[in-house]
Order: sequence, then structure tokens, then C-alpha cells
Amino acid sequence: MVELKPIRMEEAARYLGYGGQMPDETILSLMHECEEPLREACRPAYSVGIFDMECGGEAEVRLAECALTLTGKDIVKHLTGCTKVALMAATLGSGVDTLLRRLQRTEMAKALLTDAMAGAAIEQICDDVQSELQGKMPLYRQTWRFSPGYGDLPLALQEDLLSAVEAGKRIGLATTQGHMLTPMKSVTAIIGLQDMTKELRKVTAEDGDAISAPVGACAAGACAGCAYHESCLSRQDKSENETIDAETSDGGNA
Amino acid sequence: MSNYPEILILDGAMGTELQAAGLPLGGVPEVWNLEHPDTVTAIHRRYIEAGSQVVYANTFGANRLKMAKTGHSVQELIGAAVANAREAVAQAGNPEAKVALDIGPIGRLLSPLGDLSFEEAYDIFAEEVRAGQNADMIVIETMSDLYEAKAAVLAAKENADVPVFLTMSFEANGRTFTGTDIDAMALTFSDMGIDGVGVNCSLGPAELLPMVKRLYTATKLPIVVKPNAGLPDPATNTYNVSPEEFGAIMRQMLPYGVRVVGGCCGTSPEYIRELTRVVREWEAERGQVSEDDKEFWPEDYEELTKLRDTRPTGIASANRAVWFSEPRCIGERINPTGKKRFKEALQNGDMDYILGQAISQVEAGAEILDVNVGLPGIDETEMMVRVIRELQAVVDVPLQIDSNKPEVLEAALRIYNGKPLVNSVNGEEKSLASILPLVKKYGAAVVGLTLDEAGIGPTAEERFAVAEKIVSRAEAVGIRRENLQIDCLTLTASAEQAAVAETLKAVAMVHDKLHTGAVLGVSNVSFGLPNRDLVNATFLTMALQNGLTLPIMNPNSEAMMGALRAYRLLMNIDKNSLAYMEAYKNYVPPTAAPAGNAAAGGTAGAAQATGSAAAAPAGDTMHREIAEKLGDGAASLYNAVVRGLTAQGAEITKNLLGSMDSMDIVNGVLIPALDTVGAGFETGRLFLPQLILSASVVQGAFSEIKEHMRASGAETVSKGTIVLATVKGDIHDIGKNIVKVLLENYGFTVVDLGRDVEIQAVVEAAKKTGTPLVGLSALMTTTLPSMRDTIAALREAGLSCKVVVGGAVLTPEYAAEIGADYYGRDAKATVDIAREVFGV
Repeated sequence: MVELKPIRMEEAARYLGYGGQMPDETILSLMHECEEPLREACRPAYSVGIFDMECGGEAEVRLAECALTLTGKDIVKHLTGCTKVALMAATLGSGVDTLLRRLQRTEMAKALLTDAMAGAAIEQICDDVQSELQGKMPLYRQTWRFSPGYGDLPLALQEDLLSAVEAGKRIGLATTQGHMLTPMKSVTAIIGLQDMTKELRKVTAEDGDAISAPVGACAAGACAGCAYHESCLSRQDKSENETIDAETSDGGNA
Repeated sequence: MSNYPEILILDGAMGTELQAAGLPLGGVPEVWNLEHPDTVTAIHRRYIEAGSQVVYANTFGANRLKMAKTGHSVQELIGAAVANAREAVAQAGNPEAKVALDIGPIGRLLSPLGDLSFEEAYDIFAEEVRAGQNADMIVIETMSDLYEAKAAVLAAKENADVPVFLTMSFEANGRTFTGTDIDAMALTFSDMGIDGVGVNCSLGPAELLPMVKRLYTATKLPIVVKPNAGLPDPATNTYNVSPEEFGAIMRQMLPYGVRVVGGCCGTSPEYIRELTRVVREWEAERGQVSEDDKEFWPEDYEELTKLRDTRPTGIASANRAVWFSEPRCIGERINPTGKKRFKEALQNGDMDYILGQAISQVEAGAEILDVNVGLPGIDETEMMVRVIRELQAVVDVPLQIDSNKPEVLEAALRIYNGKPLVNSVNGEEKSLASILPLVKKYGAAVVGLTLDEAGIGPTAEERFAVAEKIVSRAEAVGIRRENLQIDCLTLTASAEQAAVAETLKAVAMVHDKLHTGAVLGVSNVSFGLPNRDLVNATFLTMALQNGLTLPIMNPNSEAMMGALRAYRLLMNIDKNSLAYMEAYKNYVPPTAAPAGNAAAGGTAGAAQATGSAAAAPAGDTMHREIAEKLGDGAASLYNAVVRGLTAQGAEITKNLLGSMDSMDIVNGVLIPALDTVGAGFETGRLFLPQLILSASVVQGAFSEIKEHMRASGAETVSKGTIVLATVKGDIHDIGKNIVKVLLENYGFTVVDLGRDVEIQAVVEAAKKTGTPLVGLSALMTTTLPSMRDTIAALREAGLSCKVVVGGAVLTPEYAAEIGADYYGRDAKATVDIAREVFGV
């Protein structure tokens, strides 16, 4: 199980079409009013499976001891340089769907806000799951989350992905005939895992293409030695310094 | 002790055993019945050798949806699975061992959570049951949706004649993924004619122990327990409880009504061997001790047994159990009798109004809702099914199905998600013969009206006699007495004053002598009198004191709810007065109320106005114009809409209606205000939430206007009818609902077909209404083809209506390509299109 942190209202506002702005006081206070019922309705849960990658071809990735085969050129590109793949399924649970159904019957404005906030909440859960995974596998850098339906990765893989992490049994996640996830506030994703120990040994100019990893998803203290140090879009000197400070003080305590 | 039945030993895991034998994650275990029959048979055989008296055939997921991609039929796979299990029985040399058909979840969620209908789920399960006709029994397991479990139980009972066990899977918080708790499961299935109910999978025996205890208090059926071998390590997928620990914890469960045991994920023949040893040892010890041996029986055994034996049953929705052990309020408002507005809602299929009535009653404290939709001219069966489906999608209280027609009751009982209360059977032969068997079959509770062919007996004794007859007839068909609630019938004090005491006396007789619960429609008593609340509340208190358990009443009446709360407090039912204190924590004595309310209202209004002042700078000119032309009241309504002051719109409108014509308010104030907000939205100054907030204010204003027009006998004016639908395959309909609200704001009548709408249903609605405009919504790229097909079907049907489409992934180009007449960029743009099409 995973705990839902305070909902990032600025993210919810973005889903509501506010761009970078924050909503006015009336809307914002309405959003805060919506937060408690939403939290009560949320029962966040996730299931993750780690698989070794097996070479497939130009448009196919096979996973060891897993019935799921990923197809399409985009997923091959996404997983370039990875040796393992994390399959992830996460959901806020069916209570949120029920809450949204009820609000749509009675208070449409709240339904709209709660819907966007639930969208922000499930993304937060996914971020937290990735952070937890990072803690368990510190020597692997994670790619961003790639989901069925992105690019040419078929949405129809949804069912096989759910089976591979036993999402039905473990978190109650299913699909509709049209491969939509139910409960609705749910995410499935494929995360590539790049073995940092290998990369540290191959710092070459052609590896320096810009990559985008979520902030904080890289191994602690890995920035300085990373092959992508110069070009990584997510690298932040501030967070790097903090990491180093933390390590120093840990050493002191020991 | 000698006739104590032996505890039945089931098998352990199949799935994890197959994985150990090489089945990949995400692979299809059922295919191994054909491809590796020897492996499957060997696993069964090892379980039988370890002590299993029942093995589950490898059919858990063998339904037509999951098996579609395997290229094998359900019959083929289930046939092979049962044959493998039979072969294992033969190989093990234990002919006593039984083979169970194992039925797991379908893998798709039922509506409203998903897109699978209850009827489709039933068909899928029925196919499995028929394919497994050679099995000795049926086990329905790992269910997390009560509705799906009910479909499976009905399919099993109606298509086979063997014992049926049901086990559901609960999370550590005591609920399934879809929110069902132990009590709701126990109540729903205890009277449906199954042979065992229980829990399996999801957790280890230690985590399931408290749930088993809870289940013991909630059912008298044999309890089935099949836990995992503890919890899995997410990295290695191995389980953390050893066979010895497993056996030791299972032993602790045995006193609590557990009669059938086995293991689920992670358990192996070693676990079953140890479990068998422990169970037989416990049984031997139990044979030596008495029922009150403090050494043998656990500390809480006596207390839990007492609760189990003395608490009367109750009813349940999928997510909430309501026991009949204390007085409960049944909300009476979903009923057209004497309610013009409600009749209209039924005639127009206005679900929003009906659901609004339901939600407001639940918020006021109703614990059960009566549902009566009988009205001349409408198909009561169809309407009852529709209203129950809609209700159970938005409220979680259990329902009382109110009709005297067996066909209406049967249709409703079948699709009800939980255990309902049937209202009602009466002492007439025709009623007893047709309704009691339905109550029995679906495991419901039932209200018995104390009237018969001779009408309503004037004395308590006569009504008691009818009650006795109903009880004995119900028991004769196998309905347990605790499932009966007798209605001694409230007569009107203004017409038959002396009859009130007879009713109260009859309630007391039923309570004392028949030991059933008692129901009364309380509000009838005051009909025709002034200050009805006073009479109702007093009568309610008197009836409760005489043994009334389920008052059917208006929960929105503060006097009556207050009387019920106070009764619960005074009778020590509301422990530590917690519910009472919660209800009145903000209580202001009535004499001080006007000043207090005014102050509170004023503050809230001011805060809102300040907060949203920035929202409407452009409205000022219009505000001035309206003030000059129509007066200050109209201007403040305009202001309320533009600023989204939801608390004020209805109130101002109500006042305005005294001096202003309804249509002038609509056309002169509300629509200009919406236009102002709409213009702000179009220019990017205002955002969707603000638009919807303003729309909500207009909604409030409109309902006042409609109420006013109804009261003055005027026809409600509509600018035209539009059909809206979220297309087949798409279950995301918030976008469509936003459009609907806005269209209604502008005075259009919207026929909302909902989501995942069949193409033919759209065509039929367009035909029936003759609408010039159909709106279709789709969220996902995968459902765009369905949008195209719907448009094609409308054209093929020769309908001249225009089609507007909208949704996140649509583009104007694609809209044109699939043959739509208009592309609705957003809700506001769609309203503009509607105004253009209708020329208003």
C-alpha cells in the first residue's frame, strides 16, 4: 500500500486548463473543500514487476519469464540502453469513481475539480512508486513512464500488462472491452531500467544526446559520474548538492 | 458433540504451483489443462495425498472473455480440467475425494464500475457452470465485487444442482477492492441458498483471523477459509508463512464456525498436510470438551457467539450493511404518490431529480431508501430496474423495493446489488403465493402488510392474526422469521382517531409475541392536520416505544429525525450519545436562529463576493443595464451568476419571482449573465471551473423557476430537445455531463442517454424525440470509430438531425472526416452551436 500525500493543486489546475496560473480564491477554496472527500474515497494501491529484457527486434521487446511482449518502434526506442523493465499498475480505487459519479449528479463544479485533483493524485502515486523503486534499485536509472496507447504501442496490450503484474488480483484493476482501465483513475506504465554501473564506464560523446528522466529518479549521488551529466534535462545542481551533503553527514554519524 | 460434522479439507494453490512448474507470469494457467495435463494432474494428486478432500479443478479463469485469445473454448478447457482432477482422484486411490468447479472473477468490472452488464456476467458464469456439469460442487472464489459474486451465485444455482461455496477476497482494511465488507457479504448471501460463505486469497491466515471472527457473528452458514501463505515479497514473489505457522494460525480460527479450510496462493501440499493434521487434532480435542470449557474455547468465543445467536438479520447494499437490531429510518421520498413533481420526473425519465431526492435523504440521515415508481402510463418494471441501477451507482444505503407486482419485484430483486427489503407481501392468498417464493429465492427480507382479502382489520387482534398467517406462510417456504418485518398499518388520525391506538397495540403484539421486526409508514398518521411534524414526531416516539424497528418517514423532517435520534439516545442504543452529539454539534436554539442565520449568511456572502470579485470585471456594463431596466433584484441575480455565488442564486430567484415574469428572468438576466461568463471563458480570462460554477447558480435559479411555473399551472418552456450520448465503448462521461449542464442552463431540454451507449439507442432516441441536434462525446482515440459508426447509423436511418461531436482527442478535421456537422471545441462552443441550430 502507498500513502497519498497532499494533492498538488497546481497540477490539478493545469488539468483544468489554467496553464501555469493558479485558480482564484473561490475556486481554490472549493478545491480544498473537495480534498477531504477525495482522500476518503481514495484507496491507492499499486503492483510492480521487474523483468529482464530479452532482445526482440526493431519493433518488439520480449521480457524474460513474462507472457507480455511489447510491440512497436516507440517502445523499442524508449527502452534503448535498458537491461530491465519495470511494469507498473497503480490505481486510486473504485471509491473515487463512485464519488465522481455522485458529484456529477449533484455538484458539477465540484465534480470537475475533484476529477482533476484525482488525476493529479494518481500521478503523485506513480511518482512515489518510482521513488520507492529507485530506493530499492539505486544503481538503475529509470526512464519516464511509457503507457499502452502512447505512440505505436498498442492500447490492446493493457490486459497482458495487467496480468503480468497480477493487477486484477493484487489491486483490483481491470479493463473494459475497449481496453480502458477501470477503476478510471488508474495508470499502467512501462519503465525502462538502465544499469548505471555499465554506463559509468562508457562516457562517450555520442551518448551525450539529451535524455529526460524524472527529477529525483536517478540514483543518489549518481549525477557527477553519469554519462549524461552534461545533457540530462533533469539534472539539478541543487538536488545534487543536497544529495552529497546528506551523504557526508551520514558518514559523520556512522 | 457426536453429530458434529467433520471439517472439510480443500486443496492449496494451483496458480503458484504451476508457476513453479514453468508457467510464465501473465501466462494462461487453464491452457495447461490441455498442453500439460500430467503436470496439472500431478498437482491435484499431491494435494489429495496430503489430505485434501476436495480439489479445485484448474478452471479459475476459464471464462469466455479470458479464454478468447487462447483459441480454446470454455467447454474444452473446463472439460479437460475436470477430467484431469478426476484422473488425480483415481491415481491417488481416494474415491471419496471430490472435484470442484472453480469460478474466479471474469476479469472485467461490472457496470457502473466498468462496462460489463450484470446479465452478461450471468451468461458468462452460466456457460462455465454448464461446462463444469461433471464437477461435484461449485466454488466461486476470489471475488471482490459483490455484484459479480451475485451473478455467479445465481448462475450456479440456476444451472446446476450441486453444493455451492462462495469466498470473497478482502484487503487488510476489511473491505474488498470495490468496498464490500464482511457484513454486507454475509447478509447478501446467507439466505440465497448457498452451502458455505467465506474468505480466500489476498492475505495470510493471521490477517484473515479478525475477518473470520466478524463473519462468524454475521452468518449462520458454514464458513470457508482459504488464505494465502502469508504476504508475498514484491521482489521475489515468495510468501512468508511456513506450513507450521499456517497450521497454527488456522487452528485459532476453527472455533468460529469454520467448517471448510484450505490454502490459496503460495500454499503447497506441505501446507495442506500440516493443516489436515492440525484440524483433525483440534476435532479430537473438541470431542472431549464441553461448549463452555474456558480452557478450550477462546476468550471472545462466548461473546461473539451470543451476538451471532441474538442479533436479528438486516439488509445490505454492496458497501453498507444495516442490521435490524435497532430502529432505522427508511426514507419515503422516492414515491410518486401525492407528489406532482415526482410524477413529472418519472414521466420524463428525469433521473437527476430522483437521484437528488435520494442523495438529500441520505445526507439527512436515512439508512434505507424506499423505492416506489408505480405510476399509470409508465412501464413499472423497466422504470424500477432503471431507478435501482442509477441509485446503487450513487448512494450506498440499502434499498426497500416497493411494489406489489411480482414481475416488478423479481426484476428488481435480480439486479439489486446486495440484499434488499421487499415492500411488500400481504395476507391475501395471491400475494403470499406469488411474492414469498421470490423473497426466498433471492434471499431478501420482506415487509408483511397486515391486511388480506377482508381488508384492514379494525382491531389489533385482527391485524395480529394476519401477521401470524404471513409469518407461518413465510416460514413454510423457508424464509427465516428474522427476515420478516410486519407492517401493522398506520391510519389517519383525522379520519379514524381511535384506530391509532389499535395500530400501536398491534405493533406491541407483533414485537412481543411474534418476535419479528415492525415497519410503519409514520407520516400517514397526520394527514389533514395542521403542524403535521408535531403529530408525526409524537406518533413516531410512541410507536418506537411499542416495538417499531423501521419507521418509513421523511428524513428531511427535522422533528421526526430529531425524535428518532432522541429515542436512540434515551434507550442507550446511541452509545455515549455520539451520533446525537454529532448531529447537533452546531445546534442553535430556534428563538435565536433568525439572527444567527442572517449573520452567518451575510458573512458567507461577503466572503464569497470578495473572493471572486476578480472573476467578473467585464460584467459591469451589463450589470448596470440590468439594474436600470429590471431593478436591483435582477441585477443581484446577474451578479450571483457571474460570480458563481452558488448559495444565493436560488434564494434571489425565489424573491424575484414575486415581481418578475419567469421568462423575463431567464432571457433578461440568466442568459445575459451566462453570456458574460461565456465570453470571459472564450477569451481565456475565465476558466472551466468558473463557467461550471456559474452554471450551477443558473441551475439553482432554474429549479425555482420551474417550481414556480408548476405551481402557477404554466407550461414549462423549452427551447428545444437535444439528445446527448457518450459513445459505445467509452465510459468517461464527465465532458458530456458538463455540456448537458450548460445546455440546460440555456433552456434546452436534454435527453441524456448516458455513457457507453449502444448505437441503436442513439438512433432510437433521435427518432423518438425528432430532435434537430444530436451531441456525441468520446474521450479516447479507441472509441472514435464508434462515434463514426453512430453518425453513419443516424444517416442510414434517414434522420435529418445535425450531429455535433466533442471530446479530448477530437479535431475539427477528424470531426468532418467522420461526417459530423459540427465540432464542439468545448461546452460553451457546443451551446453556441445549439443556439445556431435551433435559431434561439
